[in-house]
Amino acid sequence: MTLFHFFNCAILTFGPHAVYYSATPLSEYDTLGTSVKAAVVYLATALVKLVCLATFLQVSETEVFDPYQEALKAMIGFIDVAGLYFALAQLTHRNISQNHKFQAVGLGWAFADSVLHRLAPLWVGARGLEFTWDYVLQGLEANANLVFTISLAALGSLMWLRKNKPKTLIPIIYTCAVIIATMPSITSYLRRVMGWHFPKVVGFELMTSLVMAFISCQLFILCQRPSL
Amino acid sequence: MAEEKNSKQRHHRSMLLDSMYPVVALMLVLVACVELCDAATVVDVYRLIQYDISGVPFGSRFSSLNHHAASLSFQHGADLSRSVLILPLRELDIAFVQDYISQKQSLGGLLILLPQTFRPGYIGGGETQEGLRVLLAQLEKLLLHTNIPFPVYFAFENEETDAMLADVKKNDALGQQATATTGGYKLVISVSEPRKIASPTITNIQGWLPGSRADGDSNQLPTIAVVASYDTFGAAPALSVGSDSNGSGVVALLEVARLFSTLYSNPKTRGRYNLLFALTSGGPYNYEGTQKWLKSLDQRMRESIDYAICLNSVGSWDNELLVHVSKPPENAYIKQIFEGFSNVAGDLGFQVSLKHKKINISNSRVAWEHEQFSRLRVTAATVSELLTPPELLESAGSLSDTRQHVNEDSIIKGVKLVAESLARHIYGHQGKDIQIFADNSSLAVNRFYVKSWLDSLSQTPRVAPFLSKNEPLIMALKKELEDYTAEVSIQQESLDGIFTFYDSTKASLNIYQVASVTFDLLLLLVLGSYLIMLFSFLVITTRGLDDLISIFRRPPSRKMKIV
Repeated sequence: MTLFHFFNCAILTFGPHAVYYSATPLSEYDTLGTSVKAAVVYLATALVKLVCLATFLQVSETEVFDPYQEALKAMIGFIDVAGLYFALAQLTHRNISQNHKFQAVGLGWAFADSVLHRLAPLWVGARGLEFTWDYVLQGLEANANLVFTISLAALGSLMWLRKNKPKTLIPIIYTCAVIIATMPSITSYLRRVMGWHFPKVVGFELMTSLVMAFISCQLFILCQRPSL
Repeated sequence: MAEEKNSKQRHHRSMLLDSMYPVVALMLVLVACVELCDAATVVDVYRLIQYDISGVPFGSRFSSLNHHAASLSFQHGADLSRSVLILPLRELDIAFVQDYISQKQSLGGLLILLPQTFRPGYIGGGETQEGLRVLLAQLEKLLLHTNIPFPVYFAFENEETDAMLADVKKNDALGQQATATTGGYKLVISVSEPRKIASPTITNIQGWLPGSRADGDSNQLPTIAVVASYDTFGAAPALSVGSDSNGSGVVALLEVARLFSTLYSNPKTRGRYNLLFALTSGGPYNYEGTQKWLKSLDQRMRESIDYAICLNSVGSWDNELLVHVSKPPENAYIKQIFEGFSNVAGDLGFQVSLKHKKINISNSRVAWEHEQFSRLRVTAATVSELLTPPELLESAGSLSDTRQHVNEDSIIKGVKLVAESLARHIYGHQGKDIQIFADNSSLAVNRFYVKSWLDSLSQTPRVAPFLSKNEPLIMALKKELEDYTAEVSIQQESLDGIFTFYDSTKASLNIYQVASVTFDLLLLLVLGSYLIMLFSFLVITTRGLDDLISIFRRPPSRKMKIV
């Protein structure tokens, strides 16, 4: 709906990433390189996922929820986790504290995800005359995705980079990580089987992202205590 | 070593940049792509005709449209110069439209919604009420003879237009008229400005069926001509199918041609008359095509024409068919022709009446097709259901002239009348009680033929200036006559004279639901405050409240570390 609307939706979709970068100490420690590397790893992961999806998945004409297909999609979703592991653990970063490393990686990952999945529809669709709420909702979804990714990166860094963790917290960490990693499957289940409309799904995503962020924050703080 | 490394690095970088150029170019192309038109609704619309008579403009003079939608429930005194008024036919008030046009009030555009029953090719049931047809005819007459300085389009109602209209009415009733700041529906038709049609052509198709000559030339045999004009004229040229005027005449001519070709195919039953079938164009424009065709005929041929029968609107009559002549009824030839017709009609169970209308030489208006023959001293008559001659550009295929109101039985009766009387004259059986084209014989009138041609013609708009030289319709008619006659020739002339036509008769209407500018501003405000809140929240949680305050005290400089 004209360039104005496109501009509005663009700042909703990509603004929070820039704000996050500039508001937190990330900008002071100049962690842009880390974010860029994380974005590149995301691109590679996305390619691998595409190839796997194309090879193993059957395209169904109707929007029927097939448990087998969804399980397969969830498996392929774990490639995401593998990519995140690679970005967190394997790449060499400048000497930045763990605290900032996971944030930078999460930020770069989420930004690449937003650009890849949401920029093209936004450019093509939001500039037309017809008005729909779709692009605003898409922007909100991007926000939720940012929070999810940062939480996942936090949990990932706890899992792979921190050596001594309290034993009781380990299962909680892993369950939370699994929940976040399978978020796409959960949303598609909600949309197809339960028949939720897009606004409802986005609302659900936002709420769960806040809840997950809170939980991961608490876990992170709890795990930080023994090392102090 | 360091230098080598440096140069290598530079080499790599330049290679990378070079490979980026095509990618960048592709991106620029994609970016510059035309906006995809993802309208909620796209509707086919048909424009009011635009024409000049001797330079005087008539019809709708504009074609492109880009305004907000408004309905009849607008507040009085509201400014509609930037709105498109949507008028469903069912709620049309002719007086209102007349007032609006005569007071020369400015309007962005007019969109008239017609019920689906008026669509050419509409198969569903549902009789259109007579009142609607009369209203539509009145509206057409009004619009055709006025110079309208805004675009006028016709469209057919469907669910999407109904929904949109209901919405627009609701908004208008609340007093929120759609403008740039209050949202609503936007109607966009993007076509180029209409241009004059350079030299419109009219195409006459003639078929010649020679009779059997005993001794001597076939050219000395007398000829009987059967003529019908096939083109139409109406308010919306893309919808002018003219089922009755003159689709019925064309179908009747083709059926008569078919019957006589069967008779003439056998040398034993070939009559001593030649038959000349002509499908002429330019009917609504004072039968210009007929005149040009006649003038192009060889003089000997023209003089050998005994008489000509013109067919005009024979599709919706019950008991009485009229024979219009311009020579006085006392004339021997006219008497003979009319007696032949009345005898046959009596046998078939209906009535024919003779109507005489004198030609006024000084008046350029040609009311009936036979007048063009009479002006060149050829005896002719028009068989028609119309009582009075139509005015210029009227009854030539209006919007209300649809297939539903044409009766095949009427056409079949007309065919029988013409064929029988011609046959009795040719074979010398006048006054005898013989039925040559009896039902259930091999020469019976083929009902399915009549029906299929009528259906097909009722879905083909036939306004002459918009028909190209190789129009499929003309080719089809030519092929049909070739099947039934020995020689077919096509004559193409340009339609000169006082008429000028403009193109752009059909378009696609895009209906967009737009939000107002205030909505956009509001959204921007909300998003701005959201981002600012997010920023403050993050600064407070990660760096502390003091940092937030310090950002506002001094210009932010991220490079300097705050000690």
